[in-house]
Amino acid sequence: MIRHPGTAKYGLALAMLIALPSPVRAELASLGDQALSDVSGQGGIYLSGDVSINEMGGPVENSHFGRCDDATRKCGARFAWRLKETGGWMVLDDIRGNFSFEGLTLRVRHVDSGFGGDGELFNRDVLELGLPNTVRFNDVRFKIAASNTARPTDPGFLQTDIFSVEMRGEVVMEGNLLVFPTGNP
Amino acid sequence: MARIDGAGLGLVFENFKFSHGTDQPDANGEQARIFRISGIKSTDGRDVDITVNHLYISGTGSNYGENLSPVNLGRLANPWEIDVVDGNTIGVPDKAVLQFSAPSQVAAAEGYDCFGASASAGTGTCSSRPATADYIGERADVGIQMNVAVGDDRSANINIHAKSAVIDGSYLRLWGDNNRHQMVGQFKLNFYSPEVSINACAQDGSSCGSRIILSNFALELALGNELQPMLFDVDGSGNFVVEIAAIRQPASGEIGADGLRSSSNAETWDFYNSYYTNPDYRSNLSIGNFSVADRDFGSARVQGMLIQHLNIQTKDLAQ
Repeated sequence: MIRHPGTAKYGLALAMLIALPSPVRAELASLGDQALSDVSGQGGIYLSGDVSINEMGGPVENSHFGRCDDATRKCGARFAWRLKETGGWMVLDDIRGNFSFEGLTLRVRHVDSGFGGDGELFNRDVLELGLPNTVRFNDVRFKIAASNTARPTDPGFLQTDIFSVEMRGEVVMEGNLLVFPTGNP
Repeated sequence: MARIDGAGLGLVFENFKFSHGTDQPDANGEQARIFRISGIKSTDGRDVDITVNHLYISGTGSNYGENLSPVNLGRLANPWEIDVVDGNTIGVPDKAVLQFSAPSQVAAAEGYDCFGASASAGTGTCSSRPATADYIGERADVGIQMNVAVGDDRSANINIHAKSAVIDGSYLRLWGDNNRHQMVGQFKLNFYSPEVSINACAQDGSSCGSRIILSNFALELALGNELQPMLFDVDGSGNFVVEIAAIRQPASGEIGADGLRSSSNAETWDFYNSYYTNPDYRSNLSIGNFSVADRDFGSARVQGMLIQHLNIQTKDLAQ
């Protein structure tokens, strides 16, 4: 076992913390049936995520797709859709990279105040998506393109890459997204 | 149950703040943050790369993106919306129309002036409110700082900032066309800002040129309408095509030689009259004052622009 010189000091500090009287400590008490019936399922979800898309290369290996370290092959995912029955395809191509976030929250919230006076009039429940403050992108890339065939391995394949985007580092994304039905339900 | 109206999904961003950009390389040439748009080629075949140094959405008073603060986007009473709209109510008969919309504009008696930083209720048609001493408001400062490199030549940093911007009344509508078997759409962009500014700075930010200021900037752009929707397609060689088809010609004899209603087919005459007089089909741009440093050039206005035919097609220069 490796001993760090500071271990004993931490142990002492911890013991002192436990010994200190805590003003907020309260005893647990059982809830009566009546009180319990007023308790509704509360809380929400706290999410942390680390999503990788084709970071090393996808599962398909053929004349077009391959490992990312092979310069003659594409390694990102491809998503193609058509805007006209017999027309060409819009493509989101070469999607790869990794992004991670800490603290995306999801809960139901009752809004009845704030929002410059709008909250009081609104007085309803909303679904609140708490944004994670920062999202860390690690070499996230994608390309917007237009192509005449859905798959790059189809005969006669032609593609025009319109532009590509590359993102790395921490993106600041603060706030809450509130989602609710509109109209007259 | 019969009274249930197709309810849409309302979206409001509360205390929202967004920022991303590209950092200067450190001693090892490593960059902590990168935000780059590339893949474009110049006419002589060199790579064009747009490096976004800073892109932000912030509350008002950000001092051109220096001090970011939170802002609300959309109002609970008038939010951003994703909805499927009954086409009969918006002039697209017997179609379900997918609509993405910003907060709508309201009657001038209830709304706020679209430019005024201290506008009160009943001064204009914008629903989003400016910031006050005790409320962050619903108008955002947005801006982008970027530089463009063509091959090895890199431009100065170009900064574009809009203060207290509002896009109330903007929407994107998408639906399918039965005859052409194609996705068609209608795009309306309203953009109001009391100050849009553009300037260029040296790469290291040490010196900047004069600031071009467009004050009380209003853009009301209408791309496509229910009679001439925008058509989206990709052609056989893999190029993206956006088209706004010309309005149909009247058959011979439908419109009289003198152009008056009395000598024409009344229905046809009314159709063209409403097409040419409908302000919703027209685009406007107005700038309250245009100035460069301490020189004022006065106001500019382009009004009632009707797009009669538009065809935009990407082209691969490598071919």
